[in-house]
Amino acid sequence: MGFGRYLVIRILNALVVLAIVTLVMSALFVKVAEKDLENTIVQQVNAEFQSLQQRGRIPDDPDAWRAERIAHYRSQYHLDKPYWWRVQYYFKNTITLNFGKTKNPVFGSEKDVMAILKVAIPRTIQLFTTAQIIIITLGILLGVKAAQMVGSFFDRALSVLALIMSSIPMWWFGMIMLLIFSFKLGWFPSRAIPDPNLTGWAHIVDLLKRMTLPVATIVIVSFGAWAWVIRNIMIGTMQEDFIMAARAKGVPERKVIYGHALRAAAPPVVTMIIFSLLGSLGGAIITESVFTWPGMGRVYWIAIETNETNLIMGLTFVNVLLYLSGVILADLTYGFLDPRVKVGASQNV
Amino acid sequence: MRWVDVKESLSEFWYDFRRQKSGLLGIVLLFLFVFTAAAAPILTSPDIPEKWQGFWLDNPKNVPPTWINALSSQKMATHLAITGDELQNLITKTDSEYLIKVSYNNEYDIPPQDIVIKDLAGDASGGKLSISVMVERPDGRKITLLENYKFSGSLVLQLGSHPQVRDNLIKWIKSEGIYVDPIQEFQYKTLMDATKVIFGELNENILEAPTPLTGTYTFTILVNVPEGSSVSFENAKIIFTGRTYGKLGTDFKGRDLLAGIIWGSRVSLVIGISVAVFSVIVGIFYGVTSAYLGGWSDELMMRFQEFMASIPSLPILILMGAYFGGHIKLWQIVVLLVLFGWVGIARVARSMALQIKEQTYVEAAKALGAGTGRIIFKHMVPQLLPYAFAQMALSVPSAVLSEASLSYLGLGDPTAVTWGQILHDAQVAGAAVNGYWWWVIPPGLAIALVGLTFVLIGTALDRVLNPRLKRL
Repeated sequence: MGFGRYLVIRILNALVVLAIVTLVMSALFVKVAEKDLENTIVQQVNAEFQSLQQRGRIPDDPDAWRAERIAHYRSQYHLDKPYWWRVQYYFKNTITLNFGKTKNPVFGSEKDVMAILKVAIPRTIQLFTTAQIIIITLGILLGVKAAQMVGSFFDRALSVLALIMSSIPMWWFGMIMLLIFSFKLGWFPSRAIPDPNLTGWAHIVDLLKRMTLPVATIVIVSFGAWAWVIRNIMIGTMQEDFIMAARAKGVPERKVIYGHALRAAAPPVVTMIIFSLLGSLGGAIITESVFTWPGMGRVYWIAIETNETNLIMGLTFVNVLLYLSGVILADLTYGFLDPRVKVGASQNV
Repeated sequence: MRWVDVKESLSEFWYDFRRQKSGLLGIVLLFLFVFTAAAAPILTSPDIPEKWQGFWLDNPKNVPPTWINALSSQKMATHLAITGDELQNLITKTDSEYLIKVSYNNEYDIPPQDIVIKDLAGDASGGKLSISVMVERPDGRKITLLENYKFSGSLVLQLGSHPQVRDNLIKWIKSEGIYVDPIQEFQYKTLMDATKVIFGELNENILEAPTPLTGTYTFTILVNVPEGSSVSFENAKIIFTGRTYGKLGTDFKGRDLLAGIIWGSRVSLVIGISVAVFSVIVGIFYGVTSAYLGGWSDELMMRFQEFMASIPSLPILILMGAYFGGHIKLWQIVVLLVLFGWVGIARVARSMALQIKEQTYVEAAKALGAGTGRIIFKHMVPQLLPYAFAQMALSVPSAVLSEASLSYLGLGDPTAVTWGQILHDAQVAGAAVNGYWWWVIPPGLAIALVGLTFVLIGTALDRVLNPRLKRL
């Protein structure tokens, strides 16, 4: 099977998954939105009634007027249509990234869900990629080091660290970091929202200062487990015959490890990178809310606290979309690095 | 399997497991957690879950634990509540008066926040009752804090912020010959920290910067009951509201955090273990069935598994939270976590079952006419049990973490006491930014410890039951 065909199959696969998940989400969402819309309608009708009252034009039969207005709004919000019609309506809207508006403004005065997401997603990606680059570098360096000296104190320490860190909630660790470095020592600001009055160099310094704690939190909690995975893959590779052959040939040890072993271990390592990326996305998003970093995590927090259903729906869809793109990326790199595979890396999860 | 076989294999297992030091540590920790969870009503009190959502009015708000005094140079007053029999013993009754004598040993650099006399039930059918409060200080001076304060019905008296107490204190300071700036007098009357003055050394700075006077203070509370009226001390309390409280301090509602941590262990353990057990069972049966059936059913089942694996669980769980009206009940959390938890296990179980399927004894069973159910339940699944047990233990931490994350986001069950919810409240109240470490550290540590417990047990089980992994 050629790489092109493989690519097409993987993408089609992901699209099917996306469609089904969106359909399920829409089906759930219609139920949630119904309650929400009914409340909105009652509020709107009450407001209309009051404004009529103020102008002294109270309708002759208030109850009939009320029922008529409610019916009007119900048809405007499509509440009079059958359930499955609404599900497919929301499904179409969601797939075309038309999420509607929030009840209250988020991030200043923005009410359009798509516009809010457009502001929030780059901020999340900025924070998250910075952290991941550091984690990957640290993970590879430490993991290879540990694989070189299996059973040593360093190796054991790394394993224990990975063990402990894997059971710590990342967002809690963020709170601890705030407690120590922001409250106790006062080195970093407690709120991560950048100062809008600064420009140029001062803005960058400000931004870096505000990013330090969230990035440090993500790195400290994740790098241990990461290094441990690299270590396990490398131990397996280092026992292969071609490594022995390279050593026997007199290739310098550095080159054996980074040139031969690491290259052979590349397919699983790269897919592990992408999957751990995807896995830590959720935790990192929650961590954002601890530092009030104005990314997706913050928006999630606001959406849940203020019960913004449209916003929750939009966030969920974007998250699924990001996740599926990650899965495709993992599959493609795996197929690219290891031409033997016929199925994607995601099949081994 | 006969009972003797079970016993033998168990003792054999225990022989191996005993040598796994980390596993033994995990077992000890697990035992501790189970004990805490089971004994929660005895360790604290059985009504904590009902009380949890409300304010705990008698307790100080946002105060650190008492043992902080051992670490800092400034001793802060601990919480003291005199209730029940202890209070009844202090009451003496004369003709028309009740006399309560309370001695309080102030050994602190920072005195209590407040002195509260509450829940005296007065029946004023024969005229209003009146209460007077006097204090005798260690330096021999006597102050009348409150004189003939009239009340009827239930009485709550906060001496620390009572205007009459402030007035009387200023009067007393003047009578002791200390100059009080008339310009500032009004400010003192509205803002004075009365307890700091009551427990302060008498000098020129007693209003500006009081220094503590240690020793035994005797408070005399006099309740005058006119003829025909009566007073009940049944529910009465005298509270010296502390600046420290209990073993783990309090939060913004005055709740005892130690009680919260102890009760939270129940939710964590129950959710963690049930999610792990159910998702492993579902995963194993799904994988084994898929492998045994083979062909089209296998293909279909694995497609579905792949579909489930490519859904990110957290965003969907959050959406589900919104679907259930913003709060997911505990059993719903279990169901949802199982829904996403079985996926990885099913694939491993399938690949293991594919090997078992080729064994001759399965073929023999088939030849003897055993049905699909019998072969799966009796011959294939038991082979996977070692893997299943290790996976059960290893699945607990992520279940505990997921539940805590959902509760932290405010989607948890509002009627349950959980660690995630304590941290949610802490985040809303800005506990980390305000330095309320006693509120932030213990719940997270507890979550991490439960996770660690099961990781330790799981890896030890894995090493004993799947010897291939021993070298790692």
